[in-house]
Amino acid sequence: MMDARMGLGTGSAARFAGVGVLVLFLCWQHVQATRLGYQVEAARRETMGRRGRVAALRVELDQRLSPEQVAASASRLGLVPAAPDALRRLPEAGDAAPLGALTRLWTRGLAPLVAASRS
Amino acid sequence: MDLGLRLSVAAGFALLPLPVLGLRLADLQVLRHGALESRAAGEFARVSEEAAPRADILDRQGRVLARSVPQWSCFADKAMVKDPAAFAAKLAPILGVPARELAGRVRAANRFAWLKTGMTSEQSEALKSARVDGVGIVPVQERVYPNGDLARGVLGLVGAEGKGLAGAELTLDKKLRGAPKRFELIRDGAGHSIYKNISDDGRTPDAIRLTLDRNVQFVAEEALRDAAARAAFKSGFAAVQDPRTGEILAMAAWPPSPLKNPLIQDAYEPGSVFKIVTALSGLDEGVVRPDDVFSGEHGRYEITPGVIITDHEPEGDMTLAQILAKSSNIGISKVVERIGAQRFYRMCRAFGFGAKTGLPLPGETAGELKPLSDLTKVGLASSSYGYNLQVSAAQTLGAYSAIANGGTLYEPKLILDGKPPVKVRRVASETAVRTLSAMLEGVVDAGTGETARIPGYRVAGKTGTAHKVDPLTHKYSPTSYTASFVGYLPASAPRWTILVVLNDPKGAYYGALTAAPIFAQIGKRLLVLDGVAPDKPADVSLATARR
Repeated sequence: MMDARMGLGTGSAARFAGVGVLVLFLCWQHVQATRLGYQVEAARRETMGRRGRVAALRVELDQRLSPEQVAASASRLGLVPAAPDALRRLPEAGDAAPLGALTRLWTRGLAPLVAASRS
Repeated sequence: MDLGLRLSVAAGFALLPLPVLGLRLADLQVLRHGALESRAAGEFARVSEEAAPRADILDRQGRVLARSVPQWSCFADKAMVKDPAAFAAKLAPILGVPARELAGRVRAANRFAWLKTGMTSEQSEALKSARVDGVGIVPVQERVYPNGDLARGVLGLVGAEGKGLAGAELTLDKKLRGAPKRFELIRDGAGHSIYKNISDDGRTPDAIRLTLDRNVQFVAEEALRDAAARAAFKSGFAAVQDPRTGEILAMAAWPPSPLKNPLIQDAYEPGSVFKIVTALSGLDEGVVRPDDVFSGEHGRYEITPGVIITDHEPEGDMTLAQILAKSSNIGISKVVERIGAQRFYRMCRAFGFGAKTGLPLPGETAGELKPLSDLTKVGLASSSYGYNLQVSAAQTLGAYSAIANGGTLYEPKLILDGKPPVKVRRVASETAVRTLSAMLEGVVDAGTGETARIPGYRVAGKTGTAHKVDPLTHKYSPTSYTASFVGYLPASAPRWTILVVLNDPKGAYYGALTAAPIFAQIGKRLLVLDGVAPDKPADVSLATARR
């Protein structure tokens, strides 16, 4: 009688096993969540650092492309600002080139002086 | 004693502390639950804040004018530093600051001392890894202006707390500032953080695009800087506006300052550049015709007994075009006598003088336009050539833009928001404006503004030289001037209105000799930048032949 009370039936054993598995699963889940928490935090910090680095590099690029820097570099290379009448305007893409040597010569003669090259 | 009794007594003793424990449990779990829970959370839970970067300020082409960069600052808590010398020796190689300097900062502090600001992320990580007691690290957003002092008078300044203090940084502060992102973290026994969740998403504001053009701004600033190297003047400013839309393309000041923008904050007597208001008033009302002749009184005109108006060159009879070309004060006084105070005042108001333009920058002046009742014969005459009133550069620029575009006054625009330009009003008939514009071309072709000429291009504008009021005597100083030139180009289809004002030029002080060449320099560079075709071929053929 006493042995029957102390012994576990199949159903009870299954229930104990189920509870055990559940407890183990919860423990595993908690450990994984903590591990992922560490990883997320580390990744977040790394992202912040890299974002800062990207921003710093962008600023450096902007500084190098600033008009003052470009003008200084141009001066070092001996370049000077062009005068407005030194510009030669190229025909627009839609402007059809005249056909034939005689036609070209004729139209060049009519072309306004402003379009003339400096050379 | 039987077994049952003994068991009951033992159980009684065993259960005796139960009520006490129950009461204690109730006290902890029910009565002090909230306080204890937050205390426990405080031991492990942390809220980490990630500062939202202040929004970028861009130029009209999307090029960065101001940007926020995350940086780190570190500080020392003196109470946790036992030996400042050893503490400083550990930190010096990481921070790149001499150990003696660091130790000195710690010793001099009451409790808190900044050790280094503007650290990179690498330095910050290295400092964390070093695990030095008494050091704290704070992330901050540093405001950076990649173009140096370019447009700083417009952009302004940001304080240490990331709040705008001047310029657009101040007026647009609410739009530029974001809300920080907040994270909930748990700290383990070793002090490492474990991410829990995001408690607040924060807000990252969108970039603000100004109408300024970085290159045009540079051209204007460079021209002023070059002029300052060539000639002496106390200060100066230049501005460029697109007359077709009212968009401000450049606002340059010399010497540059992020705290002040004289283009909208300073009011000054404009002198002869204001003659266009008188001239347009006469033309628009039909009281003056272009071929009407006015006497120049040979350079000396006694308007009322004891009050004499003089010209720098004695002139005889002049048409309105000649009055403007020669910048005759006597001539324009005669013109305004015919126009009358009421019409003249109405035109001043139509151009927006005496009222703020509405530019989104702090401290804008409305200038000073005397009430109609103050426009006596002498007051009206002096107002006709730009004395007895005060204007801001933004108002003058807007007025010339209105003439350039055929008579429409636009609200000046500084923020590119995709909305169409705002027309304030039509100031005069198109015929009157076109007539005046031709006269202003004459000023540059054969008048006082010849130094503003650009070969191959039609340029219209007006010079101005005004005596300044001596602050001590409150009388006009014979040696201190405001020199200016305002104009637009190419006059056949104006794309830029350019204003140049120099404060107290020394030596050759006339606007024609000081401000007009700066106008020409800016104009030439803008024409090249945009590859604008010449609109005055005769000039070009001449220039080509000369070469």
